[in-house]
Amino acid sequence: MTNCRARVLTVALVLGIGAALAPTARAEDVTLQVWSHEADEPAKVAFREMAARAVEKAHPGVHVKITWYEKNPMYAALKTALPAGQGPDVFYLEPDQTDYITSGYLLPLDDLVKWDNIYDWARAVWIHDGKTWGVPQEAYTNEIYYNKDELKKLGVMLPANAQFGEADFLALIKKVRAEGITPVSQGVGDRPYPGAYIVGESLLHKLGLEDYGKLLKGQLSYKDPRVIAVLTWVKELVDAGAYPKNFMTLKLGESHYYFYQKPGALMFPVGSWFTGRAFVPVDKGGMPENFPLGLMLFPAIDNAACNECKTLGVGASFVVNAATKHKDIAAEFLNAMSTPEMGKRWIETIYLQTAIKTGDVQFTGPYAAYFTELLERQKGEKYFIGMPVDNLEGRCKDAFAQVMNAGFPGGLLTVDKAAAMMDEACLKKN
Amino acid sequence: MSEASPRAEESAAPSGLRVPSFGASVADARRAPPSVILALVGPALFMYLAFTLYPVLRTFWNSVHTIKPHGVEEWVGLKNFAELLTQDPVFWIAVENTVIFTIVATVFDVLGGLLLALCLFVKVPLARFLRVVWFTPVLMSYVVVGVIWVWIFDFDWGTLNTLLRWLGLESLTQSWLGDPRWALWAVMTAHIWKWLGFNMIIFLAALYALPAEVLGAAELDNCGWLAKLVYIIIPMLRPTIVNLLVLSFIGKMMVFDLIWIMTGGGPLWSTETVSTYVYKRAFDWNTFDLGYPSAIAVVWCVIILLFVVLMNRLLRQRDRLEF
Repeated sequence: MTNCRARVLTVALVLGIGAALAPTARAEDVTLQVWSHEADEPAKVAFREMAARAVEKAHPGVHVKITWYEKNPMYAALKTALPAGQGPDVFYLEPDQTDYITSGYLLPLDDLVKWDNIYDWARAVWIHDGKTWGVPQEAYTNEIYYNKDELKKLGVMLPANAQFGEADFLALIKKVRAEGITPVSQGVGDRPYPGAYIVGESLLHKLGLEDYGKLLKGQLSYKDPRVIAVLTWVKELVDAGAYPKNFMTLKLGESHYYFYQKPGALMFPVGSWFTGRAFVPVDKGGMPENFPLGLMLFPAIDNAACNECKTLGVGASFVVNAATKHKDIAAEFLNAMSTPEMGKRWIETIYLQTAIKTGDVQFTGPYAAYFTELLERQKGEKYFIGMPVDNLEGRCKDAFAQVMNAGFPGGLLTVDKAAAMMDEACLKKN
Repeated sequence: MSEASPRAEESAAPSGLRVPSFGASVADARRAPPSVILALVGPALFMYLAFTLYPVLRTFWNSVHTIKPHGVEEWVGLKNFAELLTQDPVFWIAVENTVIFTIVATVFDVLGGLLLALCLFVKVPLARFLRVVWFTPVLMSYVVVGVIWVWIFDFDWGTLNTLLRWLGLESLTQSWLGDPRWALWAVMTAHIWKWLGFNMIIFLAALYALPAEVLGAAELDNCGWLAKLVYIIIPMLRPTIVNLLVLSFIGKMMVFDLIWIMTGGGPLWSTETVSTYVYKRAFDWNTFDLGYPSAIAVVWCVIILLFVVLMNRLLRQRDRLEF
């Protein structure tokens, strides 16, 4: 019996010491799970991690854990995690992903986020049924980047307003191709939209803001004479050899390299988030420091409704999982990324427009001239909010990716065939 | 050696305690109690139920429902199937591509594997080296194979077009993965390249297992190599051929990885297969509804099962070979 009592006491003593030494969880210890895209853009990673550390500093006991993904694998993971009642507290999303809203997986943010720091036009893309579902971070415009030295060598002058007309642009394409240089670096190997930059912006110019919106919503036929006129002109560009021969398989990252490294191209139509891949060290795929980068506007279309129109996209945004148990901390993280100081930091380190109000920003550093030129190209512009893929869904979106993005600019379809295929998938029958 | 039953050979032991001695059948499952059987089979059975049977049953369930917001499931009966079979042109394009891919790639895979195995069986020069070279692609993941062949098929700097230009055949250069006329055949080439070695090894094993006396008797009868191949070897390899045809058929009817990496189903749906289309409908379209993609998966599963049963019946060996 004495032996037994001794054993019991010994065990109790050991357990007690163990319990005392074990780290005790505080009642307020919280880990906020965040899933984000942009794993391969170091400046954006640094930006978001900075916001995470700011939240942790302001709230001892709170840990913000960001898991970095590529975009499509992240979407696939979300589509399996959220219906299972799992998934992160906060995650990256883009405005075209409205199915997350209609399926009830997002928390409305109207009362949680400091909206005074966000531009109204950017907030508007996230408003559905009178509620705001996401916090936009990134804004971008569609631009044509070009090699200034190459253009000079060809003996071609950029017009004063940085915008070629239809005929001049076609002539430029032919001249460049005749020199054995690829006129336009573009590839659709891993994205559903790059091939449609030129045709999309041209349609926007021709139709104007309202009718372009109708076209994307399926309320205007692709056989409309104005649309056919644009498609016919773009077909001339394609037939003149505007795009590289490996257009169908060239990936987005590779098309950057194709433009400013090897083999080199004259122009590169892309969103102004171009800087995320270009303004990094050369050994990480970035642009050489002395590359003569210029910006021009998309060509002016004959008899156009709005040649000063341009697509303005709201890209990277963050949303809160409706099932989160930490909505206040989640909101803190979103607000931490959306202060004027962070907006300024976004512009100065990522060289990309933002949805955050920043006030006056003085640019310094090696890319100051670039950003000054970018803002110069925005003067007098009118904006259509949202890329085509942001405004399409279902079968129409799939057809757009195959036809307008790939098949038509890839030279695989005639104008009539492309128009017929798009109408078949998109035109709403009354 | 005693001819007594194993039970008679059990060593002496305290009464009630049966200790099997050397030579007794200790592995007789009929002797093991159910609890032991369950403990041994249980983990594998659990994995099968959780990761194979449940997903299959769940897919069948989803195919007759529409998943609405907030996880609400609405019974729709055969509506998804009706829409799929009558109103979805992309599905039929995917079916056509998959059938072409399956038939052509299966024939080339199996015939090619047999040819390579015969080369090694007759001990061509460098047979050992060739066996390693031909089998190595089987060990590579689809991602690696896909990336390699995308490089090979690149228009500007790919090996194939570079070789054609070097041979003065610039006119034959193509955008192999960017042209709907060639894309499916290009992906098929990569797929065949990956799996030829697998079929080769199976055939090689089967060739070495053939009864030597039969082949010897054929030689004594002055049977030429071609006659030996056609009238003796191939008939004796028939079970192996049928098995490989069925396995290859099933694998190719579900092809996804390589297509996804190399072309994503493009250009213009020319490499869209049923599997890639299911994935797109489930994850790329702006919807959480898995009902429709599940219907596609169910239809395809039934079609594959029917074809496998048909193939087995048609190719089943009716006469027993006697030798």
